[in-house]
Amino acid sequence: MDRFRYVNKDIKRTDGALIVTGRAQYTADIEHPGMLYGKILRSPHSHARIKEIRSESAKKLKGVKAVVTGKEIGYRRFSFIDTPAYPADETPLAVDKVRFIGEGVAAVAAATEEIALKALALIEVEYEELPAVFDPEEALQDGAPAVHDVIEPNTTTAWEDFGIPRKARPYTVVHNISNKTLIEYGDVEKAFKEADYVREDRFIIPATSHVAMEPHAAVANYQPTGKLDVWLTHMGYEHKRFWLAKLLNIPISRVKVHRTYVGGAFGGKSSFFPYEFIAAYLSKLTLRPVKITLSREEVFSVCPPSRRMIIRVKTGVKREGRITAQHVKIIDDVGAYRSSSPTAMYLAHVFRNPIYDIPNVRHEAFGVYTNKLPTVAKRGHGLPQMSFAVESNLDTICEDLGLDKVEMRLKNFRKKGDLLPNGDTLTSYALPECLKQAVAGIGWNEKYDKKRFRGLGIGTASMFSGSHNFPFSSAAFVRLNHDGRVILYSGQTEFGNAVDTVMAQIVAEVLNCSMDDVIVHSGDSEVCPHDIGNWLSAGVFISGKSVMMAALDLKEQMLTYAEEGLRTPIDRLEMVNGWVVSQSDKTNRASFSDISKYAIQKAGGDPLIGKGYSKCVPEVYFWKEEFNKIASLSSGKGRFTEAYGLAAATAEVEVRPETGEVKILKMVVADDCGTPINVTSVKGQILSQAVMGIGDVLFEEVMMKSGRVINPNLLEYKIPTVTEIPPIDSVIVDSYEPKGPFGAKEVGETSRAAVIAAIANAICNAIRILEAISPAMKT
Amino acid sequence: MKGGMKRRVLLRVNGEDHEVLIKSNRTLIEVLRQDLHLMGAKEACGMGACGACTVLVNGKPVHSCMTLAEEVEGKEVETIEGLAQGGELHPLQKAFMDYHAFQCGFCTPGMIMAAKALLNRNLHPTEEEVKSAISGNLCRCTGYGNIVEAILSTAREIEK
Repeated sequence: MDRFRYVNKDIKRTDGALIVTGRAQYTADIEHPGMLYGKILRSPHSHARIKEIRSESAKKLKGVKAVVTGKEIGYRRFSFIDTPAYPADETPLAVDKVRFIGEGVAAVAAATEEIALKALALIEVEYEELPAVFDPEEALQDGAPAVHDVIEPNTTTAWEDFGIPRKARPYTVVHNISNKTLIEYGDVEKAFKEADYVREDRFIIPATSHVAMEPHAAVANYQPTGKLDVWLTHMGYEHKRFWLAKLLNIPISRVKVHRTYVGGAFGGKSSFFPYEFIAAYLSKLTLRPVKITLSREEVFSVCPPSRRMIIRVKTGVKREGRITAQHVKIIDDVGAYRSSSPTAMYLAHVFRNPIYDIPNVRHEAFGVYTNKLPTVAKRGHGLPQMSFAVESNLDTICEDLGLDKVEMRLKNFRKKGDLLPNGDTLTSYALPECLKQAVAGIGWNEKYDKKRFRGLGIGTASMFSGSHNFPFSSAAFVRLNHDGRVILYSGQTEFGNAVDTVMAQIVAEVLNCSMDDVIVHSGDSEVCPHDIGNWLSAGVFISGKSVMMAALDLKEQMLTYAEEGLRTPIDRLEMVNGWVVSQSDKTNRASFSDISKYAIQKAGGDPLIGKGYSKCVPEVYFWKEEFNKIASLSSGKGRFTEAYGLAAATAEVEVRPETGEVKILKMVVADDCGTPINVTSVKGQILSQAVMGIGDVLFEEVMMKSGRVINPNLLEYKIPTVTEIPPIDSVIVDSYEPKGPFGAKEVGETSRAAVIAAIANAICNAIRILEAISPAMKT
Repeated sequence: MKGGMKRRVLLRVNGEDHEVLIKSNRTLIEVLRQDLHLMGAKEACGMGACGACTVLVNGKPVHSCMTLAEEVEGKEVETIEGLAQGGELHPLQKAFMDYHAFQCGFCTPGMIMAAKALLNRNLHPTEEEVKSAISGNLCRCTGYGNIVEAILSTAREIEK
């Protein structure tokens, strides 16, 4: 641990002064001279055909600069997931029919927000209402209203653009099925027959909102030269500029996503949004900057919240607690557009797979269209729902059979070095240690079953550290300046994850220089190289690795010049505090500044720029025939990631029998994130997820009635406040991941799922029934 | 027009006088951000439910999204931009940095102003008093613990 100077240390945010002075610039803070304000007219119907839109009087209103309708924009389809099998199904504004309350039908750009809102009121839309379907199980029945018919691809998919030989094909929707996943290994039926005990439970999990404090916003400035500048609330620029370029038909290199601060994301700002296209389209139409800021009500009622799932879990065990078979069946209520469902249904298996070693598995999932708000990834993407369902099922099995809940889990955990059925290897794996620490920290043995209406619960979770999915990989540049300082160019996005600080730590560690001498230029799509983004939990593992490789490349280039200048072999040189020093004679040295000046003067102007890159599972690529034969989100086959983060949580709760009120007394969250780069930031990520998990179980639900969100504001949708936080211990279990930068792997998404399962199980333990007690999680 | 005629209003913000021509329905946050270009106060809910827009009026915290700009005429308005003096950060700002009391930072200006209001009236707050003072300020990132620590440490620091 002590071999590091900056890694695995408490390092303060290098950009903290900007935040505490109110100077950090978020998209909502961007202003331009002559800027227009955009607003979107939204459907009041869940399902209706658009017969006519009359916008003449809106166009005539003083201050209105442009009015557009879905028909004018046409079928420019986009989606979170867009593969040959699952072509994009969403349009920026509804073209022929609306599929959920809140879907955009027209948009206005005007001199002020007030005028834009007035103009919306002047647009007349004639609808023909259609029967709507809200329940996914009803949507699967014969004769249910059809949300979609045939989805015709009208652009190539990202997969095709990057070289997969398969062509996008039309997707005919039958029984409202948006997507299917079937992953199987072993013989589940036989194993159930041979099991000593089989239990099946059904869980209905509603959506919760991300509630990032910054509402979604976009500023677009289309230049008369054909270049588009945008400022977005996002989690990685590749996905955004891909869709902006594709839908506006401009080269991707001419779309510049500017660096902004992003006021929280949690998955909810990862996908491409209609308002982002509309801002850009209106800017192109008016040749003026256009800003669209969504109201909190719009964020709640039109931006996708977490996925709504109905999960059946059937588990077979031997008498002593060994799990021999598990059959999971998910109905994912995707809403009006499928968004991330094909991935989520696959991830729901993949993220639980590293936890228990179950020889016979069937994982069946269906995404089902309904006339509701679409759903998307939220911190864990399918994992929290699955952890809740599986861990609840296991806890009940333990109670039914009188098994020790800790021992039972320890008995079934996988082991370090295990090869998973898809080919991934658990090169680092400290889940057993996480559970032991979480159990010891809560005082499990002393407290379990000792007091009435007090309960203890356990939850587990695992999460990948990036994958080979789009945007696939990251690169970084580190440039030496002639004052001896370095500038890092990385496409990472800041939304609370301290990327500038963490990446500077990595560079300073490699070059053994002061953190002050590392300047970070991040999140600028024009200057920074390709980046996988800060989703897929890939930030540190993939982008951090590319930053490390770039710094190592620069180091080698610098040492090569120093070898010449200091007349000392390269293996006898070291870097110390901004100097290259000979190990045998410490006075024989050259400063970083000297090396830069030498390269500029003597070596033909060599600018000394280090380049690094990293791709998760590099052996998987689209030109590889073998990969193309097997890779599929629907069958879950093929390599997926190189390292899994893991977490175990415990919770102690007290339930008031008279009122059902739940009080969380204590929580312990132990997270195996490999070696933390920034200890404070990692603990912050764990605590953040723990508190978010409290909200998920105790307070939060996006409530819907007949397709309408009925609590679309922060008074009626309650998130945890400072007064509701119990003592929480966050424990870092350092498993050292050999493939990560300095041993690091994922930390931002695992714990939330473990916490949700732990609290739910603790409540059930306190009241001894698996019963509806929380607004968010019902059985 | 909604909000009626425009009126000349004299606002005193961070010790500086500003004359603005505004309609009576303009909120304080709108005028701070759009007319005075003070972008520190953030709008996150628009209904006084989250505290991100907190500024001080005569030393007391208000939701600037729920306050009409003309209501604060003649009063002393303080925003996050006025906290650092002479190039030196306020002790609360330093403590928020030292204690990692923010992640995305969007709630931070409001949170710091709510804390400033507490310390204005109570230099020796207990942990419970700190929690009560920021109970109307939502933070989705930090889990609040580091924020409470930062405020308590500032109180201890000022006392020295």
